[in-house]
Amino acid sequence: MLVYSLLAGLLFGLYFSLIGLGLNLVFGVMRIVNLAHGDFLMLGAFLAFWLFKLFAVNPAPVIAIAFLAFVILGLPLYYLLVPRLLRAKDPGMLSFILFFGLSQVIEAVTTIAFGTSERSIPGDQLGRAVALVAGLFAGKAPENGPVELMGQTFPAAWVASGVASGCAVLLVYVYLYRTRLGYLTRAVMDNREEAIATGINVHRISALAFGIGLGLAAVAGVFAPFMLGSITPAMGAEVTVTAFAVIVIGSLGNPLGTVLGGVVYGISYMLMQSYYSSWANLLPYVLLIAILLVRPSGLLGRRVRRA
Amino acid sequence: MIRLSIFAALMVLVTSAAVQAADAPAEIKLGTLYASSGRYASISLPVHDGLKLWIEQRNADGGVFVKAFNRKIPLKLIAYDDQSNTATAATLYNQLITQDKVDILIADSGSVLTSVAVPIARDHKMLLIDQTGTGAAFFTADNPYIVLMADPVSSIWPKPLADFLTHDGPGLGIKRVAMLYATNDFTGTQANAVRKFIKDSNSGVDLVFDEGVPTDTSNYTVLLNNIRAANPDAVVHLGYAPNDIAFLRNVQDSGIKFKFLFCIYPGLETELLEKNVGNKGLNYVFTYVPSSEIAYETNFGMSLKDYNAEWHKRYANSQVEFGFNSVAGYTTGLVLEKALAATESLDQLELRKAIFSLSGNLKTLDGTFELDANGAQVGEITPLGQLIVDEHDHLKFVTVWPHAVANGKPIYPRP
Repeated sequence: MLVYSLLAGLLFGLYFSLIGLGLNLVFGVMRIVNLAHGDFLMLGAFLAFWLFKLFAVNPAPVIAIAFLAFVILGLPLYYLLVPRLLRAKDPGMLSFILFFGLSQVIEAVTTIAFGTSERSIPGDQLGRAVALVAGLFAGKAPENGPVELMGQTFPAAWVASGVASGCAVLLVYVYLYRTRLGYLTRAVMDNREEAIATGINVHRISALAFGIGLGLAAVAGVFAPFMLGSITPAMGAEVTVTAFAVIVIGSLGNPLGTVLGGVVYGISYMLMQSYYSSWANLLPYVLLIAILLVRPSGLLGRRVRRA
Repeated sequence: MIRLSIFAALMVLVTSAAVQAADAPAEIKLGTLYASSGRYASISLPVHDGLKLWIEQRNADGGVFVKAFNRKIPLKLIAYDDQSNTATAATLYNQLITQDKVDILIADSGSVLTSVAVPIARDHKMLLIDQTGTGAAFFTADNPYIVLMADPVSSIWPKPLADFLTHDGPGLGIKRVAMLYATNDFTGTQANAVRKFIKDSNSGVDLVFDEGVPTDTSNYTVLLNNIRAANPDAVVHLGYAPNDIAFLRNVQDSGIKFKFLFCIYPGLETELLEKNVGNKGLNYVFTYVPSSEIAYETNFGMSLKDYNAEWHKRYANSQVEFGFNSVAGYTTGLVLEKALAATESLDQLELRKAIFSLSGNLKTLDGTFELDANGAQVGEITPLGQLIVDEHDHLKFVTVWPHAVANGKPIYPRP
């Protein structure tokens, strides 16, 4: 029971790392909190749902489609909202209000379009993709079903989600530490004013980071029907709150902190479910309060922000 | 002299009728809440649509007959969206009573959104027309301001399930039962009832796993592993529709096959569950057989077949599924219609008296309307059934308990 809870917590935590990653990137670069983050995740989930329902597209390729679509969506959205916001006296506080409003609009429009009922994609769809990939490495296609990991059996979607989350974290690191745009992004994260003074096109860098943030949310959304039971237009707010707790636990503005925050959250949640199940959903808030009291800058935080 | 007396008597009758007509309100204000979004939207909107259907039908016919005024009076629905939020719901219930001054207060669907209305209605001495809030704690001897219209009180819901487990179960080899429930009034009450029924039966059936989870739980993989470790012969999961969807999907994705698995909503919202879990995931699952599946003999209102047809005609383009809850909203209307036709005034306790007068006599598509002394619904029972995929790949209900209404035998253990 303990080993299973730990492994399940690791996989679940990696998924929440993926959810928090985009939110933290946007905060790190722009110092604003995107309270509509969970709603973009929800939109990514509905994109996967409708592509499957209308054209029988397996969710695996939708990961790339969703990422690109939302990066592209994020660019104009950034120029529409963020520069004006950053000119305000207190952009951090105003961002709460603006993105809360955006969150409400997205939820309302999605509700009108798709209704309020729960929607899902059959669980074996991601299992098929996992079986296909595993078949390429193993030489023969394994059975489409749960996957065995260290002697424990998990839904294939969990493993797929864990692998995708790990890849996403890696790619974000490669982007930040191995590309020119990444260096510039880190420069903006470190000190926006100095970055402007050195001639960096801060808005271009920020717009891209904003787009990547939305893209990561959409990728997490593709996995939502499998990891969160089902999807509804109203799911965004709860996801945002948990993601916010995860990045605060790790460290605001630090992507590696998000991974640690996610894993700490996931393992603690699964242990709570195993041993004190009635109290499990209090966990993100308890962890959030504990971290803010004991280590306000988060587990990996030395300062409020860190590139 | 005789002529004069007759004339005088007629004058009195005419005058009193005129006074009654003059006192009659231009409309009867029904105040209610619904959740267009959030966790309870999928159980709230069908109930609300069912109620609206009844109101539209009555208004198309000139209104509802009110005995107190001896005439038909149109109905006016005042409805607010609580977005599945109990704090919002509390504010809006207050608004309906104090600002809108509704004549009849109708709760939103489900125990969670009804729970906040119970004390508010009581404080304002308004009779709460409780549509589907079945938490047993709502109904107490010292509170006359509540009646449950369309669903049985939660404490009797699981009786057929528990009776099956304790009577037929041991013969089938069911000795060890695992129960997982969401900690809210609706399913928490049912869990208490299952626990009590099993304990009182002395049948040798034991609860080997008994855990509660928060109602907004959406992931059950670890819990399923823990249940499996308890090696149960039967698993009972008590949750709302989103809980059941997540639970059954996790069961399927984890490759676990419990010998006996019971969930509430595959029966109550079959269309919704079918869309999310699929026929394969629902095959052999035990559930309640709801009124939307049993054609009860009626003595008032549409039959199930006619209502189903009317619903699909009216809400053809709606994204709200037909099911148990859509029947509940319409049933609420039918009970109100009968009560208004019997009440001496619109005074809240008079209305309660009129509703109680229907107990045991009114038979709707939801079954026999019957109340206990505290206003809890006890007539509309929930037989135990099993969902089976037939040769045409359609799900069908097989009722297995009570034996008096059973139309088939349970398949145990599941293949």
